[in-house]
Amino acid sequence: MKILVADDSRVMRQIVIRTLRQAGYDDHDIVEAEDGADALAKVSSEQPDLVLSDWNMPNMTGIECLEALRASGSAVPFGFVTSEGSAEMREKAANAGALFLIAKPFTEDTFKEHLDGVIA
Amino acid sequence: MTDFQDTGERRRTSDAPLLITELIDEETVQSIAQEAWSALIGDDEFLVPLPGGLPEDAVSSWVEVVGPWTGAVVLTCGRATAEELSRCLLAEHAPPVLDAEDVADGMGELANVVGGNVKAVLPGPSVLGLPEVGAAPEAGVDALRVDLLWRGQSLTITVQGSAGALTDQQNNPQKNEVPL
Repeated sequence: MKILVADDSRVMRQIVIRTLRQAGYDDHDIVEAEDGADALAKVSSEQPDLVLSDWNMPNMTGIECLEALRASGSAVPFGFVTSEGSAEMREKAANAGALFLIAKPFTEDTFKEHLDGVIA
Repeated sequence: MTDFQDTGERRRTSDAPLLITELIDEETVQSIAQEAWSALIGDDEFLVPLPGGLPEDAVSSWVEVVGPWTGAVVLTCGRATAEELSRCLLAEHAPPVLDAEDVADGMGELANVVGGNVKAVLPGPSVLGLPEVGAAPEAGVDALRVDLLWRGQSLTITVQGSAGALTDQQNNPQKNEVPL
């Protein structure tokens, strides 16, 4: 399985990848994207099985990336990993077609809770 | 038809700026920060609510919140503390010598996580900005400062309104009065 991790912070991409490993998802290919536009391009070029994306990013936000993906016909499973976990943001994410929203800070248990049904 | 006399009272009440100290308290900010530290820095990393005094080479990172309350959530600590925090965030990926970009990235992400969770407590809808790093924006009177110690080193989190000067005048109208 290939997982695309999109976050404009290199530090946070490393933390997400480390947490995936700690949660037991350590035998998957990881591809990194540094903003929403990069993620959009890499969904096309890398064909990931899952996208884990930050919300607030320069160039293109995570929600704009998700909307662009769905508008182009892509049904790639997409989840947010963001510092904003309010009910309002969760509703926006769900309405745009996100499977889940993991709020930062997170633990490996949070990842397991949201990803167990998604990652085979 | 009912006569309506506009006293302006209602308008003034609704236009009154929201003060951060009425929206969130120190304990909540500390609790948000502690949760971030435990998850991102380490399970056994504790923030102790004690003032310690910031060194001269202090650096800040912050995120802006724009909404019914507008301002910034600012994290400030000494340069050595910022490097140590970034090293903890990067863990095994930390290079022997951290460059300025790694430290700015780490500090920015801590402000982002704390700021995002502070935003969730404040009245909405509001928008969170991207993290910035540098000299902290000046705080006005609409500010809530939390002094903490991490591994014995000083660190402050300030939730500060951007309309500080305006609020200052409104809260202290005598400041603008001409002395008799």
